[in-house]
Amino acid sequence: MQKQWYRLDTAALIFPAVAKRDWCNAFRLSVTLNEPVDPEVLQKAVEKLAKRFPSFFVTLRKGFFWYYLEESRHPVTVREDYAYPLTFMRRRELQKNCLRVLYYKNRIALEFFHALTDGRGGSVLLCNLTACYLSLRYGLRLPVSGELVDLAEAPRAEELEDSFLKYTAEAALGGSETRAYRLRGTREEDGFRHLTTGIVDTGALVGLARSYGVSVTALLGGVMARSVIALQNQEVPRRRQRPVRITIPVDLRRLYGSRTLRNFALVLNTGVDPRFGDYSTEQLCKTIWHQLCACATPQYMAGMIAANVLPQRVAALRLAPVGVKNLVMKLVYLQRGEGGGCLNISNLGSMSLPEEMRTYVRRMEFIIGPQRSYPNNCSVVSYGGKTYINMIRSIREKELERRFFSELVAMGIPVEIETNRRDRALHIGGETQCTV
Amino acid sequence: MYCVRCGVKLQEGEARCPLCDTPVWNPEADGNGENREKNYPDTMPRHYRETRRPAAIALTILCALAVAVVLIICFRLNRRLGWGGYVVGGIGLFYVIAVLPCWFLHPRAEVFLPVGHAAAALYVLYICLSVGGRWFLPFAFPVIAASCILSEAMLCLLKYVHRGRAFIFGGFLILLGGYTMLVEFFEHLAFGTGMFRWSLFSLAGFGAAGLFLLVLGMISPFRQSMKKRFFF
Repeated sequence: MQKQWYRLDTAALIFPAVAKRDWCNAFRLSVTLNEPVDPEVLQKAVEKLAKRFPSFFVTLRKGFFWYYLEESRHPVTVREDYAYPLTFMRRRELQKNCLRVLYYKNRIALEFFHALTDGRGGSVLLCNLTACYLSLRYGLRLPVSGELVDLAEAPRAEELEDSFLKYTAEAALGGSETRAYRLRGTREEDGFRHLTTGIVDTGALVGLARSYGVSVTALLGGVMARSVIALQNQEVPRRRQRPVRITIPVDLRRLYGSRTLRNFALVLNTGVDPRFGDYSTEQLCKTIWHQLCACATPQYMAGMIAANVLPQRVAALRLAPVGVKNLVMKLVYLQRGEGGGCLNISNLGSMSLPEEMRTYVRRMEFIIGPQRSYPNNCSVVSYGGKTYINMIRSIREKELERRFFSELVAMGIPVEIETNRRDRALHIGGETQCTV
Repeated sequence: MYCVRCGVKLQEGEARCPLCDTPVWNPEADGNGENREKNYPDTMPRHYRETRRPAAIALTILCALAVAVVLIICFRLNRRLGWGGYVVGGIGLFYVIAVLPCWFLHPRAEVFLPVGHAAAALYVLYICLSVGGRWFLPFAFPVIAASCILSEAMLCLLKYVHRGRAFIFGGFLILLGGYTMLVEFFEHLAFGTGMFRWSLFSLAGFGAAGLFLLVLGMISPFRQSMKKRFFF
């Protein structure tokens, strides 16, 4: 039987091209239940989902001109989590499956290669997987509403579409940005990812954001910018400093009403140039908020979409072999994709589940991996009155996290900290690997 | 339980603040935080890094096959190495430059660049000896050595100095102009050709471009204006 295949969507084209020998762009979504996860039931739930969400159960393939996704022959098997999230997805693994299903104690986690989908698309799969698991485990009957879909029906065309092509403008947004300040540190040689989770009360966070007249994302962006500025002040004299910009992904589904489950988000670089003078936290939050408001409009984003879509239409580029395209995309990505920002703050917003599920689900989390050229990243999600701020890093230095969370505490937001710190015995196949 | 320095609330059983390492007075902690509830297991994945070893193996086999075929043909037809020596040497040079780094997990360009130059020097020495020439020491060796020093210096500066790219490239271009003069000088010594027949032109071209970059590096408004005009 002919296997189903999909072109990569416009945003996804870049991810296989820029993958390194020890890094690829991935993210994780997880739910924590009130009771331990039964892996066998979870496996059954995963198998039930494969037909309804075919674009997630795919492998990455290399054509002559482009990469593409192909229906996988290998079933996604659930396995226990590792000592840190987002372990490296090798090319060999991506050639089997681009999705991982993991469990640990009460937690179910999904890890996606970013070419499949973005955070919002992934959250639909996670909600449906959790619903399916709960119905198999506890016999729940859940209504088909909100994120939940009818698993018996066929996948809708609108879920599989590349919405970038649909909402592009006629002219592309031009211009380039100067390079932003680059966070640096001592890399963990074995690929360990340090995760620091700050748990804060959503009400308190929203209240503070309202008092500044900004959104939660802008508030966190402002606090993060302040922390990065403080770090840069320590290292670089002011006249040689670089702009501090926080990269904020914008979910385009809200702007255009798309229902795609593929990637449909673009990033905005927002921030300030510290050489112009000192900024208070409130000023930073407001600057970021105004920049977001000015740019996150359907018209402006259509111009940004066009800047991504139009190069695909150039015949000479289309006809170039995939290896040549990879080289070009790598250069463009390093220059424009990551060069303009210091780190990401990806806010998935507030996750809502049906009333019947809420009694079983204690917590939800969203984690994005470090970027190719900068070691820190931050992701945020709210659920059940709590906001989970996950800061991940591939370096040993934790000064950024300390400054960021201390700043939040100083602003009157109580923060509870959890980490996966590695000051414990870690094992590879039973052998002690490292203790610090 | 709170950290007295950061003010954040800590997990039960923590012995130190995970943000600032300030010790926490906690009678339940065992000193290294093993009592706290773990949110991740202790199992580390095997650390994978995509290697280029399969490509290296395939290319090694291919090179070995090519060398074997050339040797068989040469000895069958002429009963001596003859032209096959150049082909084998060329394959060897290709192997050292392109395939050898693939065997290593972290191939360092600053190591493999001199190795490549050394291989090129050996290959040229072989050619020189096989044609009975006397130009290796007065010409080929100094030219290759100067090329090695120049490219190594450029590579190290680009890799380890993160500022002043205009100065690095400007200086490199001027030195490249000087290098062409050096090549002509050694050509003059080895083969008795005339001096300054062509190298002055290249020196002028490279020198002008290099000086332009140096000026660009020195004058910040000029740099900004050029950036504005030529961004892509």
